[in-house]
Amino acid sequence: MRALAVGAAALVAALALPPATSAGGGITVFAAASLTGVFPKIAPVPRYSFAGSDQLAFQIRQGAPVDVYAAASPKYPELLYRDGLVRKPAVFATNRLVIVVPRSNPARIGSVYDLRRSGVKLVVGDPAVPIGSYTRQILDTLGITSDVLKNVVSQETDVKGIVAKVALGEADAGFVYVTDAKAVATKTKTIELPAWAQPPVRYEIAVVSSTKRAKAARAFVARVLSKRGRALLAAAGFGLPKRR
Amino acid sequence: MRHAGAAAAGLALIVAVLFLALPVAALFLRVSPGELLHAARSGVFRDALFVSVKTSAIAHAAVLVFGTPAAYLLARRRFRGRGLVLSLLELPLVLPPAVAGVALLATFGRYQLLGGTLNALGIRIGLTQAAVVLAVAFVESPFYVRGAVAAFEAVDATLLDAARTLGASPARVFARVALPLAAGGLGAASALALARGLGEFGATIVFAGSLRGVTQTLPLAIYAEFEQDFEVALAIGALFVVVGVAILLLLKLLPAWTRSLSTFAFRPAASTSS
Repeated sequence: MRALAVGAAALVAALALPPATSAGGGITVFAAASLTGVFPKIAPVPRYSFAGSDQLAFQIRQGAPVDVYAAASPKYPELLYRDGLVRKPAVFATNRLVIVVPRSNPARIGSVYDLRRSGVKLVVGDPAVPIGSYTRQILDTLGITSDVLKNVVSQETDVKGIVAKVALGEADAGFVYVTDAKAVATKTKTIELPAWAQPPVRYEIAVVSSTKRAKAARAFVARVLSKRGRALLAAAGFGLPKRR
Repeated sequence: MRHAGAAAAGLALIVAVLFLALPVAALFLRVSPGELLHAARSGVFRDALFVSVKTSAIAHAAVLVFGTPAAYLLARRRFRGRGLVLSLLELPLVLPPAVAGVALLATFGRYQLLGGTLNALGIRIGLTQAAVVLAVAFVESPFYVRGAVAAFEAVDATLLDAARTLGASPARVFARVALPLAAGGLGAASALALARGLGEFGATIVFAGSLRGVTQTLPLAIYAEFEQDFEVALAIGALFVVVGVAILLLLKLLPAWTRSLSTFAFRPAASTSS
């Protein structure tokens, strides 16, 4: 009985330990879903968790054992910085929004204004996630918010959900980052949005204050900001901030 | 030694109860009654409750209508491949809900297995309320069928045979003898399946998406609110528990009620024949 109790306690302890400890050396990186393709190319070693930036920020607030946070918007890193949960964030990439449609373009979308037509099945991001708020900013700037949003059939909680539903052809169109569109270029077509309506989409990266591997975490951030990191980000379709 | 065993079992029970009850208690401890009331009046909750109740009711009705006779047949007949059929019906139990969602999408998606045919008929399922109904029915049906087969198997076969020899048609035997005798087990299976259906999340978000008032069920609403406001998510979660408990109680009481009803209907019939 005692052996069983000890065994159970050991099992619980093993599961509760931060994963980085058991991995021995690797750091854990929380990154926006839109970085899924490019980050492992920049650095294959860390453990990654790709999800909506807001959700990752929430997990950091709940004390998740993580060393670096990279978000698709300055909002969450700056809020965490204000509360002392991350070190000073740095802008490392920019992005812009496009419309993706299935390759066959069943709803014959030619421009953003076609999304106002009734019967178009549109997928957007939830207002709480950066892609969702950027989408609404663009529509507001274009003055077609209510006409377009009436065609929404699903509000997804991260970019991957939008991309998947359009790539499968379930939805007629979706608002995504140009980098996501590039990743599914064989199954989709991309429709550009007017440049003047684009919101500034800035990606920020920061070392998490509670990290026990500050050195490795800083090295990872440096790697993302390095010349090679910038080249890989550019190859994936990201825009780059001016070098500091 | 015997005492030690009993103590260990008691301890295990305490651990199990605490582990299962504590998170539910935390839900209510974290949410004040005011917040609960506020959440209950919120549009998000009402819309999600409406979608959940509507889709679950349709899905559950379909599961009962198709599942009950199917389970009766499986319980009464021994045929080649019966084990295989049973296993197939139970398969969704072991599928992670996200896999169920992907599988449904691969079947009913616009450009998938049946989607092309349905699309030609003007029927679109993906990302609609119909998709929610299909997802819920898919994940909850094994819970019902499993329980229903067991309930019909527990019915004394000699009673059914006796009814047949007394001239009742197979349909009448099913409706007037097997169904009332299995009512308790059927009710329990039905409650379990309904509860599982109400909690459906993974298959729904993959197959049906999430849109308030259309496909956003209570679990999806909790997830969406969790992204924006943890407190609101907690409050809706607590309300979900209230709704769930109410439904479970209702269904627990229902078999007892139908049983008393059926024995009441049975007695006069017996007395007139004597």
